[in-house]
Amino acid sequence: MNKRGLTFYLSIYRKVLIQDLKSKMSYRADFVISTIGMIMTNLAGFITFMILFHNFPTINGWDYHHMLFLYGFSLVALTPVQCFFDNNWNLRFMVQSGDFIKYCFRPINVFFYFMSEVFDVKGLGQLAFGLGTLIYAWHHTGIPVTILTVSQAILFLLTASLFMIAIMNAAAATCFWIQGSGYVMVIMFRFKDFAKYPANIFSGIFKVVFTFIIPIAFVAYYPSLVLLTPSSVPLLSWLSPAIGILFFFLSYKFWMLGVSKYDFTGS
Amino acid sequence: MSLRKFLALTRAGIMESLHYRLGTIVTLFANLIYLVLVYYLWKAVYASSGVEQVNGMTFTDTMIYLILATALFNFLEMFVVWDMSRSIQSGKIILDLLKPMDFRSYTFWSYSGSHVVSFVLTFIPTFIVVMIVTRGAIHMGLNLLYFAISVVLALLINFGIEMLVATVCLYTESTWGINIVKETIVLLLSGASIPLAFFPERIRDVIGYLPFRAVYDIPLTVLLGKGGSDSLAGLIKLWGLQFIWAVVLYVAGVLFWNHSVKKITVNGG
Repeated sequence: MNKRGLTFYLSIYRKVLIQDLKSKMSYRADFVISTIGMIMTNLAGFITFMILFHNFPTINGWDYHHMLFLYGFSLVALTPVQCFFDNNWNLRFMVQSGDFIKYCFRPINVFFYFMSEVFDVKGLGQLAFGLGTLIYAWHHTGIPVTILTVSQAILFLLTASLFMIAIMNAAAATCFWIQGSGYVMVIMFRFKDFAKYPANIFSGIFKVVFTFIIPIAFVAYYPSLVLLTPSSVPLLSWLSPAIGILFFFLSYKFWMLGVSKYDFTGS
Repeated sequence: MSLRKFLALTRAGIMESLHYRLGTIVTLFANLIYLVLVYYLWKAVYASSGVEQVNGMTFTDTMIYLILATALFNFLEMFVVWDMSRSIQSGKIILDLLKPMDFRSYTFWSYSGSHVVSFVLTFIPTFIVVMIVTRGAIHMGLNLLYFAISVVLALLINFGIEMLVATVCLYTESTWGINIVKETIVLLLSGASIPLAFFPERIRDVIGYLPFRAVYDIPLTVLLGKGGSDSLAGLIKLWGLQFIWAVVLYVAGVLFWNHSVKKITVNGG
């Protein structure tokens, strides 16, 4: 496959995206109900959080506003995977039915083409919810608002988002080898709920597992420490952008390995 | 005669689930990782609070409650909503409606096989692991039997909720949306996300009468011997609540289904 420029891919993305939005607009009721559903999941998560703090004032030395910051941070960091990589959820159906073969016949990157087909608008609701929480907590934790901190926030939010994308890519790609592997995605998606808690609650071998194997500690905790404790930032936080890119790259390679193994099932 | 017909469906379901046994193993493994996550989180939470008991729940109680809620969730999970919307889209539902069996009981018994498999292969092993981790903190006695009865009632209530929601799918194409609304409400108000004992008292009073609680909270409360379930009167009260909801949801489900099935439109098939 020959290399193309970024502008080429961007223009393709725009065209595919418009088609997707058009087809979504024709199911208006679905859009409304799905958006309500998305708001309700976020609200339920928030209620759970509030109930926890109603009973326990601090968690491992983290007070309410610091935890809220972490919570908002994780919600924003989880938006890209929701908006841009939602088609992963359809992968197993397409692989099973054989429809996936159509992606292999296009003269563009299979991974790119597949992901570009769906843009999940519901994710924007989560983004708004997360940003609101983050800004509120930012204000109350007394983190200064300077060009440095804001650009750090943007950089490390993008970094954090790479980890969840990597987890979901890898989880989705298991369907190339295992039949009916939807539960792997469901399970991984549920683990993300623990990203909003400080990862220093883990110890021993599980600290390693949740940092480097199922990297939920990177979905919010390590990247957010750059802003929360600027005086003592662990090395892993500074390294998280590089680790994030590495994880994303590995998941991409794993996904593409699945594609190369793919024999289509006929019909 | 009629029981044999149902058991044939159960057997088919068991065989079908065993075909995907790798899924069961992964689910069990995921439950164990989940156990680790819950363990560390709540250990930190209780350590920071510095008290043994919060709202009558110790750390061990909370752990048993949340892990087994997840195990129950995997065990009770039905994909009625998804399957229904897919069979409406593909037209397969016509064949199911034509079967010489009531559609609702056909659906219920088709799922029963997968319930049996996931109970044996994921719920029981998870239960044993919880027993080992908490060093036998679950009291072994009649409460296990009471728990089993409560789980059967929970199964019926869960099916009632699933069927009602699935019937809504006859009217709209929004499967994902409806399903996520249902799941969110059930998980939050049933205590599967955070034990109901932690909810503020006024809210808890209201939630106490809703059917969602009867799916996860009541069986687990009975197992742990809390909420008055250690006396016969308290136990009957909890079971009574479950029983009433099972009946109400059954009647409502039948009425709603019989009314809606006439409106079904299927393209192709």
